[in-house]
Amino acid sequence: MAATQPYRIPTIYESTATGLPPLRSYFVELWGRRRFIWHLSRSDLKAEHYDSAIGQLWVILDPLLLAAVYFLLRTVVRPAGSGPARNAIIAHLVWAVFVFTFVSNSMMAGARSLLNGRNLIMNASFPRAALPIVAIVKAVFDFLPTLVVYFAFHLVLGQPFGTSLVVIPVIVVILAVMSLGLGLLFAPLMVFYRDTGGFLPYVTKIWLYVTPALYFVREIPPKLLVYLRWNPLYPSYAALEQIFNAHMPSPAYLLAASAWAVGFFLVGALVFLARERDFAVRL
Amino acid sequence: MLSGSDRPPAVWVDDLWVSFRVTREKNQTLKGTLARMRDHSKQAMLIEALRGVSFQVPAGSVYGVIGRNGAGKSTMLRTIAGILPPTAGRVAVWGRVTPLLSLGVGFNRELTGRENILLGGLTAGLTAAEVYANFDAVEEFAGLGDAIDFPMRTYSSGMFGRLAFSVAAHLKPEILLIDEALAAGDAAFKLKSMGKIVELCKHQECTVLIVSHGLEVVRALAERCVWLDRGVVRDEGPADEVVSAYMAEENIEETSATALEDV
Repeated sequence: MAATQPYRIPTIYESTATGLPPLRSYFVELWGRRRFIWHLSRSDLKAEHYDSAIGQLWVILDPLLLAAVYFLLRTVVRPAGSGPARNAIIAHLVWAVFVFTFVSNSMMAGARSLLNGRNLIMNASFPRAALPIVAIVKAVFDFLPTLVVYFAFHLVLGQPFGTSLVVIPVIVVILAVMSLGLGLLFAPLMVFYRDTGGFLPYVTKIWLYVTPALYFVREIPPKLLVYLRWNPLYPSYAALEQIFNAHMPSPAYLLAASAWAVGFFLVGALVFLARERDFAVRL
Repeated sequence: MLSGSDRPPAVWVDDLWVSFRVTREKNQTLKGTLARMRDHSKQAMLIEALRGVSFQVPAGSVYGVIGRNGAGKSTMLRTIAGILPPTAGRVAVWGRVTPLLSLGVGFNRELTGRENILLGGLTAGLTAAEVYANFDAVEEFAGLGDAIDFPMRTYSSGMFGRLAFSVAAHLKPEILLIDEALAAGDAAFKLKSMGKIVELCKHQECTVLIVSHGLEVVRALAERCVWLDRGVVRDEGPADEVVSAYMAEENIEETSATALEDV
C-alpha cells in the first residue's frame, strides 16, 4: 500500500553491461516459478495430445517403428542367430532407441523452446530458463510411457530381472540434466542464428550411430572404443546395458555419465544466462 | 499542483536509453552472417527507441503515455516490465509489475477458458493460491457464461480479450501496464474495464500505466501523462494539459471521432 511504498525495496533494471545476472536471485526467482513451469508443461502436453487419440499412442509407436527398422537393418548386415541371441538384440534395440528418442527429443525441444515461446518472452517477465526446463519436463512425461512399454518387451523376450533395475531413475535424471544442458546451449544459438536448427537432426543421427544403441558395447572393436568412449552418451548406455542385463552398473560409468551431464549443464547454463537479456531484443 | 509529485513514486524512469540493432533480413541466419562478413555491406541499423527519457509515476495513480506510432511507447512499457534491458539509465519499480502488453499472454488456445485463467495468472507471476482466491471474480467479470468451459480456440477475439483483461485486472496487480490491449472488447466491456481501472486506483492499491491512442480515454482516466516523441519526452504533466498540447500539435479536433475509438 501507498504508506509503505517508500520503505519497500524497488526492483531496478539497469543496463546489461555485465554478462551474468546475479545467480542467487535468479535461481530463487526460478524456484518461485516452479508451479508455472509445472503447469505450463502439463497444459502443453494436454493441448498437444488433445485433438488426436493417436497423439499419445504415437509417442510410443514412433520409436517402436524406428527400433523395428533398425532391427531389420541390423539383421541384414549380420544375421541375428539363435532365439535367445535374437531376443537380446530386440530388447536392446527397443530400450536403446527409446532412450535415444528421449535424449534427442528433449534436446531439440529445449533448443526450439525460445523460438516457440516468443510470445511469452515478448510479453511477460520471468527467468527465461523456465522455457527449456518446460521442454525437458514434457520430454520426460513423453518418455515414461515408453519405459513401461519396454518392460513388456523385456518380459516377453525373457530378459533377466534384478535389483539393478532400480538404478534406472538415476540414469534418467542424468540424461535429463544432460539434455537440459544441451537445450540451454542450443536455444540461444537458434535465437541468434535461425538456420542452425536445420543441422540438429543430422547431428543427432550421427550421434545415434556412434552410441552403442544399435550394437552392444562388447561388439565395439578396441581400436574404435578408444574414440567412441568419449561420446557423452557412451557411459550412460554402457551402464544401461549392464542394468538391463541384471548387473549393477559400474561406478566408473555412473561417474563419467554424471560428469558429462554436469559439464553440459554448467556450460549450457552459463551461455544461456549470459545471453538471456538479449532474447527479447532478438526475437 | 496536481499533487502528482508529492506522492511516492511507483515507477521511476531515470535517463533511460534503449537501443537495438535491427537487421534487414527478417530472421538472422548463420548463412546471412557469413555472407555479410564477405561483402562488408551494412545490413544492420541501430534503432534508438528511447533517448534519455525521465519521469515518475506517482503510486496509486493512472498515468497516460501518448505519442505517435514509433515514438517508443511500447518499448518503454516493455522496459518497465523488465522484458527489454536498458542500454543506459535505469528503471526502478516499487511492486509487482503485471504487463498487459498483448492479449492473453500464456494462454493456450487448446485449453478451456477456466484452465487458462490459472495459466495466465501463473504466467503473470502469481502463485496458484492467489489465482484460486480470485477465480470466481475473474470468471464473473469476463461474463463468458458457459463458454468458460470451452476451448479458447472457439472464442471470438472479443471474448478472448475480455478473459485476458479480467485475469490481469483481478489478480491484484500492483503496477498494471496496459498497451492498447482493450481494443478488442465491445463498447459495454470497454466501459466496464474503465470502471475497473478507476476502482483499482481508488484506494492507491494499484498504479496503472496506460498507452493509448484514445486521447479522450487518457484525459478521462489519467491524472498525469507523458508525451513521447521519437524517443524523447516532449511534455509531461497533468493529463488534461498534455493531451491538449498533443492534439494541438497533431491538429486533432477535440470532438474528433478518433478520441474514443480505441482504449
